[in-house]
Amino acid sequence: MSEIVVQQGSVSGARGWRGFLRQLPLQLGAFVGVIFVWWLAADQEWVSPRILPGPGEVVSAFWQLVTTGILIDNLGVTVYEVLAGFVLGSLGGFLIAVGAALYGPFRQVVTPYMVALQVTPRVAIAPLLFIWLGFGALPKIVLAATICFFPVFINTLTGLTIVDEDERELFRSLRASKSQEFFRLRLPSAMPVTFAGLKTAISLALIGAIVGEFVSAEEGLGLLIQRFSFQLNTPAAYAVLFTLTVLGLLLYGLMELLDRYIVFWNRNDRMLKRTRRMEARYRRQHVSAPSGAATPSNSGLVSSGTGSTSQQGGNK
Amino acid sequence: MSNPTFTTGAPNEMSHGRVCIEGRHVGKTFGEVVALEGATFSVPQGGFASVLGPSGCGKSTLLRLVAGLDTHSGDLIVKDRKVEGPSEDVGMMFQRPTLLPWKTAVENVLLPVQLRGRVSKDDRSQAMELLALVGLDGFEFSYPRHLSGGMQQRVALARLLMTGANVLLLDEPFGALDEFTRERLNIELLRIHSSVGATTMFVTHNIAEAIFLADEVLVMTPRPGRLAQVIHIPFEHPREISLTRTQEFNDLVFSVREILGADQ
Repeated sequence: MSEIVVQQGSVSGARGWRGFLRQLPLQLGAFVGVIFVWWLAADQEWVSPRILPGPGEVVSAFWQLVTTGILIDNLGVTVYEVLAGFVLGSLGGFLIAVGAALYGPFRQVVTPYMVALQVTPRVAIAPLLFIWLGFGALPKIVLAATICFFPVFINTLTGLTIVDEDERELFRSLRASKSQEFFRLRLPSAMPVTFAGLKTAISLALIGAIVGEFVSAEEGLGLLIQRFSFQLNTPAAYAVLFTLTVLGLLLYGLMELLDRYIVFWNRNDRMLKRTRRMEARYRRQHVSAPSGAATPSNSGLVSSGTGSTSQQGGNK
Repeated sequence: MSNPTFTTGAPNEMSHGRVCIEGRHVGKTFGEVVALEGATFSVPQGGFASVLGPSGCGKSTLLRLVAGLDTHSGDLIVKDRKVEGPSEDVGMMFQRPTLLPWKTAVENVLLPVQLRGRVSKDDRSQAMELLALVGLDGFEFSYPRHLSGGMQQRVALARLLMTGANVLLLDEPFGALDEFTRERLNIELLRIHSSVGATTMFVTHNIAEAIFLADEVLVMTPRPGRLAQVIHIPFEHPREISLTRTQEFNDLVFSVREILGADQ
């Protein structure tokens, strides 16, 4: 059985853990290659050490930042700003999109303002935010929220508006109420598009928080980068930069993971797993069924095409 | 629409025989466009009527009106009641399966029950039985994207039966499927139709299919969409696919083609 799975994996390309493991040597090789070229460039001083410190220096700067606790403290502040801004912005975008999708007049009134907000470079609001909201975490959170708001808003609105006409007819013919249509048809239909927006939003929230810290901050990774750059302490600046890269990857990965489990119907492997689980549960509950018949069937009416249908399915 | 006296008058129709669906001068215009011009027809209780015609003849419109999905002019009565909106007695099936991709086959079949309230254990086992009835045992927990087009349409058929409606309206339900699958599903549909004791209206643009399935074929012509003729189909039930090779059957196909051709 497992052999078959391996064969399928090789046919359909890298999928799942097996595919990942098979690709690992190549990926690792490429990574080591990049680090080596970096090391060589720094070691041979092809580029000034002020501009490009070697990997070793960056690692030791990183270690120093970790052991002194500076990195962790400031990381915590930035993560808090990003997550708070993301939740605020995407929740706002989502709710306004729901309102706009449900009430035409509201959509007409609100859409121009949303677009106006989107075309205004939000970074330009940053200095004003500090006048309005002071110098704590709040202006950074708000900046992150305003930047990450739009993709969630526009994607959710699109997802909620473009629902298949036949499916709506179906719900109407089944006499579904407006709220049933919304919660059981429109909202789930919009989920894949909304999640695409959320993935963009989380990266934008990180940008918002860092820009906010650039403008004015007492703590945060953005502040650290700025301070180290002013001090020409490039190894430490690089260390913070890479920390931000890893943070960005983790945040994106988190959204990817949520997407995978919530919008499972876009993932073949997730759907198959759920199918298997439900089949197993059903079989367990119907163990006592006579002669191993897993499914109750009205034998007098079962179609003659059953056999060939099973074959069809078996090919999948 | 506000004509309550009409409903009280309707039982008179019943005394003439068991009429299930009756239309008198049923019409529909979209703005300036006449989609359907005064159609008068009736389908008896337990009857099977095909609605046949080329694209744009208003056959889908007629079905949607019977389903109560749109407003109409004229009089339209289903099971002694004036059609004023979607009814529990009437189930509709579309050309596309319209399954919800986040629900398994059995969950999709249970949708009509779910929209009415709680899903009971009995409902679940009934849904499983219906899936077996349409030949999908073993696929109850599969998601639509893992089913072929024909299998998806079978799920939709099971869902239609799950509504408990005994007026079935099918809008080219197997039109997107290959010839072989379609033929098999048609035969299954006929068996289900008679075993459930349903009254069925079946929209198609395939002449042979329309005749093979129906007791009566409502032949429609386009521009403007109107009901040209109602043809009674004399063949006995249950019907075998070999019927389509008989001389009588093909004579009927030919004469229907004449009607459609003459008006084009």
